[in-house]
Amino acid sequence: MENKVKIARTQVNLTQQQLADKVGVTRQTISLIEKGKYNPTLKLCLDICYAVNKTLDEVFWLERENDDK
Amino acid sequence: MKKITDERLVLQNLKNIRIAYIIQTIGILGILGYDLVTKGLDGMRENPLWFVFMITTVISAYLSMNISADQESNKTNPQKSLTISLVVLILISTVVGFFVSITDGFTIVNGGIFGGILFICGLIPIIYIYNLRIKRQDENIEE
Repeated sequence: MENKVKIARTQVNLTQQQLADKVGVTRQTISLIEKGKYNPTLKLCLDICYAVNKTLDEVFWLERENDDK
Repeated sequence: MKKITDERLVLQNLKNIRIAYIIQTIGILGILGYDLVTKGLDGMRENPLWFVFMITTVISAYLSMNISADQESNKTNPQKSLTISLVVLILISTVVGFFVSITDGFTIVNGGIFGGILFICGLIPIIYIYNLRIKRQDENIEE
């Protein structure tokens, strides 16, 4: 799952470790979320959004892919 | 040791426990299988591991009822299923009790006890699943 956590985090001048401490997870988890390799719970998504002063939309919204499956 | 608060690690921890549980179960089955081959069925039952294995099986069966009650289709009425289950259970325990009481060396009291034990053992899961279905129905109505 792609997201804009990394961009949002650098905009408020936080390191991965600082963001991790703010939302109460480990740095590795933040790193995996930024790489799109871990699917965070809604609760963690909200915590991240509060920490970077953005809405869920701005950080996690993805346009629906148009390829027919 | 600090308490794990990271949701990813909590999840990973559960997965690790599951792997350990699988290995443990394989080990228990292996030991019981060895006992079965070397000492026969009665020898296997004397092993305390048999008791552990049965308890775990019963617990996991009860817990999986939680899941199956959610998954089954909504059409059947819980009261109706309860009645059907009860009738079948009473029938089975009566038949077993009857045959036990006419077997040589067993009295009518023995038959009654056998049937009664069977009835009670069957009744507990039936009532449990009935309660689960009722609870789930209430949750559906609230929507």
